[in-house]
Amino acid sequence: MALPAHISPMGRLAHYGYLIFCGSVLLFLIAPILVIVPLSFNAAPYFTFSREMLQLDPSAFSLRWYRDIVQNGMQNPNAAFGWAYLVDSWNNAQWIHSLKNSFVIAIATTILSMLLGTLAALGLTSPGMPARGLVTSLLISPMIVPIIITSAGMYFAFSTMGLTGTFTGLIIAHTVLGTPFVVITVTATLEGFDRNLIRAGLSLGASPVRVFRSVIMPLILPGVASGGIFAFATSFDEVVAVIFLADYDQRTVPRQMWAGIREQISPTILAMATILVLLSIGLLTIVELLRRRTERMRGTTL
Amino acid sequence: MMSGTIANVRPPAAQLDGAKRRQVLRQYRRSQRRDSLRALALVAPLCVFLAVMFGWPLATMLTRAVSNDDFGAVLHRTSASLAEWDGTGTPSERVYADFAADLRQARDEQTMGQVTSALNFEWTGARSLLMRTVRQLSSEPENGWKEKLIETAPDWGNPDLWILIKRLAQPYTSRHFLAALDLEQAADGSIQGVGPEKAIYVTLFWRTLWVSAAVAGLCLVLGYPLATLLARLPLKTSNLLMMLVLLPFWTSLLVRTTSWMVLLQDNGVINSMLVWLGLVSDGNRLSLIFNVTGTLIAMTHVLLPFMILPLYSVMKSIPPSYVRAALSLGASPVTAFWQVYLPQTIPGVLAGTLMVFVLAVGYYITPALVGGQSGQLISNIIAYHMQQSLNWGLAGALGSLLLVGVLLVYWLFNRLTGGQGLRMG
Amino acid sequence: MAAVTFENVSKTYDGKVSVVDNLNLRVKEGEFLSMLGPSGSGKTTCLMMLAGFETATSGEIYLGERPISRVAPQRRNIGMVFQNYALFPHMTVAENLAFPLRVRNISKADIAPKVKRALEMVELAHLGDRLPAQLSGGQQQRVAVARALVFDPNLVLMDEPLGALDKQLREQMQYEIKRIHDRLGLTVVYVTHDQSEALTMSDTVAIFNFGKIQQLATPDEIYETPCNSFVAQFIGENNMFSGTICERGDGVCKVRLANGDQVHALTVTDAPVGATTLLSLRPERIRIDPPAADGWTITTGEVIEQIYVGDHLRVLVRVFGGHEFVVKVQNRSAGNGLTPGQKIRLGWRASDCRALDAAAGQAGAA
Ligand SMILES: Nc1ncnc2c1ncn2[C@@H]1O[C@H](COP(=O)(O)OP(=O)(O)O)[C@@H](O)[C@H]1O
Ligand SMILES: [Mg+2]
Repeated sequence: MALPAHISPMGRLAHYGYLIFCGSVLLFLIAPILVIVPLSFNAAPYFTFSREMLQLDPSAFSLRWYRDIVQNGMQNPNAAFGWAYLVDSWNNAQWIHSLKNSFVIAIATTILSMLLGTLAALGLTSPGMPARGLVTSLLISPMIVPIIITSAGMYFAFSTMGLTGTFTGLIIAHTVLGTPFVVITVTATLEGFDRNLIRAGLSLGASPVRVFRSVIMPLILPGVASGGIFAFATSFDEVVAVIFLADYDQRTVPRQMWAGIREQISPTILAMATILVLLSIGLLTIVELLRRRTERMRGTTL
Repeated sequence: MMSGTIANVRPPAAQLDGAKRRQVLRQYRRSQRRDSLRALALVAPLCVFLAVMFGWPLATMLTRAVSNDDFGAVLHRTSASLAEWDGTGTPSERVYADFAADLRQARDEQTMGQVTSALNFEWTGARSLLMRTVRQLSSEPENGWKEKLIETAPDWGNPDLWILIKRLAQPYTSRHFLAALDLEQAADGSIQGVGPEKAIYVTLFWRTLWVSAAVAGLCLVLGYPLATLLARLPLKTSNLLMMLVLLPFWTSLLVRTTSWMVLLQDNGVINSMLVWLGLVSDGNRLSLIFNVTGTLIAMTHVLLPFMILPLYSVMKSIPPSYVRAALSLGASPVTAFWQVYLPQTIPGVLAGTLMVFVLAVGYYITPALVGGQSGQLISNIIAYHMQQSLNWGLAGALGSLLLVGVLLVYWLFNRLTGGQGLRMG
Repeated sequence: MAAVTFENVSKTYDGKVSVVDNLNLRVKEGEFLSMLGPSGSGKTTCLMMLAGFETATSGEIYLGERPISRVAPQRRNIGMVFQNYALFPHMTVAENLAFPLRVRNISKADIAPKVKRALEMVELAHLGDRLPAQLSGGQQQRVAVARALVFDPNLVLMDEPLGALDKQLREQMQYEIKRIHDRLGLTVVYVTHDQSEALTMSDTVAIFNFGKIQQLATPDEIYETPCNSFVAQFIGENNMFSGTICERGDGVCKVRLANGDQVHALTVTDAPVGATTLLSLRPERIRIDPPAADGWTITTGEVIEQIYVGDHLRVLVRVFGGHEFVVKVQNRSAGNGLTPGQKIRLGWRASDCRALDAAAGQAGAA
């Protein structure tokens, strides 16, 4: 930003100091995430940049840690690449196993959360809702209650219901943690929803079902989708409930990383972390696009 | 001349006659009730789901903290007959006989552990005492159990031990809560502090508090200037920079914690860089991790977006004309900031600070991985009691205290932000 | 034949206050009827009952001969322009216009030309592909009008459709709506709180206050012969002053003012001798230095102030020992030589001074 001429030298100094400070904070936010990307290609099992890496020597980089993700746990990791290799990896590799579990649990969680959360948001924003503030606070309290308490409580309660060590139990636990996000995003969308649009639809001759399908749904869908993505990310990232409730069979990616970090942190974890960063960039992009679409319709970006 | 006083007063009420009016009132109430029921029906599935899958687990946790089930259940005969004992002298032969029967059953069903651990917590040597006693249970005594047990171990003739057993056999107990506050109940029933070598929980609570407050403070100091910049920049630029804030927000917590481990290790990126720059010598690498410093750095990073987002959304809604007005009225930029801009951002500051604080208080993963011994917080000790010491009552008590604290801050948060504080993305 | 009939319609939301109170109204085929009244007087509620989004507490509304309380909103075939337009933000302009046709299962081939014609009618043919958020307020408003007309409804309702526009645009749109009304021969029920809008556009104006129609008449009747003190005060500018009726004659009466002066007035109220009355007198009907003629009321006053408005001058005069009258004087030549403090003669035709009910702003006065 160019400074006007009347700013004093001290003022200039302060201004540039301010910009540098803000730049440093942004760096603090983003650098730790970016730094693991090159390190995951380290040919040596170290967590710092070797001289060769800094000199961009190709031999200092390798895909061995990514190969490890695919191979670790395979019955025959040295087999030639082919159909049998893929099947072996799909069935036996530890990380692939965790990835499959993570996706299954996260997708089921997303669907359940979207369903429960959207219904609740519709109720919370409808005119007759009694004690709206209190109910909202209660419904989003799973976000606030420390995860260790929730998980410990679920450990006790779920074991009496036979839900520990099952996928059902984990999906339920993650739905509890993920639904508040859907409630928040959909409520925000619905609060911005102009009820006259429903009346307009009816007055133009559309049946209530038609109005729901072609007016209400398209307008609240971005909010529902954003909430769903939040729920997905919450589930995909969650580890404490998994520690308390899951057996080996339900081991998820974060659980596997947790175990790996606690025992012996290996660069394979960095490779997996890089993959997760890519995933979060994908999710973030979708949410941003949805948000911009909504803003374009509201006309705020014009 | 009369001037615009029209339409300020509405006539008292409709000229509806009584019956009609009652009917309309009834219809009105009915339609209101229908609206409410419809809204409640929509909210109900989630409410029920959360009540069963969230509320009930929390309640289980709370009851764990006060319940004495195990001890009383294993020694159910003893506790029944002890109920009639007045606490003076030694109990009757009947109590000793029941006690022996209970212990024998416990030995056969392998539930001795629950008796031992509870008793051992408050009676020194209880473990060996019980082991010795259990060995004597096989044969029936000649002169009754009372004599035989006191013969085996003189402790069984001590009324204090029986008072303790009677107390432990109650269905509810305060001992877990006392222990969570570094207190215990002496044999005479009075409450006293535990010895300094056992007093760890209060210290941990305090550490959790100050670490959370420090993290919230750091987030505010780092986040506030950046949020002002983001709010002032043209939308295109700020959207781009916002992605840099949002990416960490969306990145897995474990990934971010891993990154900090990689960065902060003794031979990690930061130390290597400092050595390479010659700022520290190779032998004196900074210990940035596995202590409270690591916890502070990593948690600040993880929670910073939760500070920036509410600040940004509040600042975005403040029109620049206020500061311009202040400047045009002769205020210096610093005065304009302190007296005009800052007060308007207070809602964002409160929302962000309380949010970060409340999330930090319950943090588990990050301190567990980068905190070492001195960077552990209350959640970590709860996990320890849940998984390793298996002292679930104590875990429940610690958890309940933490929960009450968190809910208090959450309540405050809702009061101060009018329930509008929680906004995502 | 009446297009719309309100028959003893009352509406209360909470059982306490009648938002619409025993309303009777007939709207003729092809008529442009405005509902004009202060905010909160029940206009929107009337429209919502007509469109089917509220139900009347008692009474019935007829569309033609048909009672409509049992017809669902989407079957009433009534075009409606909402106060904030309610354009669907996720559909383009053309899609918005096609919506009512699509839900009527009209074939794609027939929809396109109809949409095109509707867009041409409001001169937006080139903007069919835009989203509503990409249009200016005036353009959005025209889309809303086009959408309400595209499916050929026989009745169109408009709820303060121009409320959000600036003055110039508003005047232009008034003209265009009026033009469309004339060309298509529509029946229009138009809600506004802007009196000049109501007076310039309508065939008939219904003045609302507290859920009651205070007066239902043509614009000129409303202006010239307000039937009660609320209408007199609400429409245009009036000098209002109160007095006691001391004599009632054939259509005229004699009223004694607070300072003892007596004036003649046209009797509109049916209050008896001895009752209080509010007199109303339009500023432009007062003449300075009037001719001495029969049927004129002449008095003297003191000039307080003179305000230059452009085409006319507003002179503030103290009369009858304290009342301040506004007098409008045509600006015929620069300066008319009046100065503050000056004593002047002024007068008006007795028939221009109307004796109305006593309490302005009270319902049940009609
Ligand atoms: N849905 C509703 N519930 C309760 N009261 C309402 C509702 N809609 C309008 N009102 C009340 O009815 C009165 C008339 O409102 P309205 O018809 O909107 O007036 P207008 O359009 O003339 O400004 C107002 O006092 C308003 O507060
Ligand atoms: Mg209105």
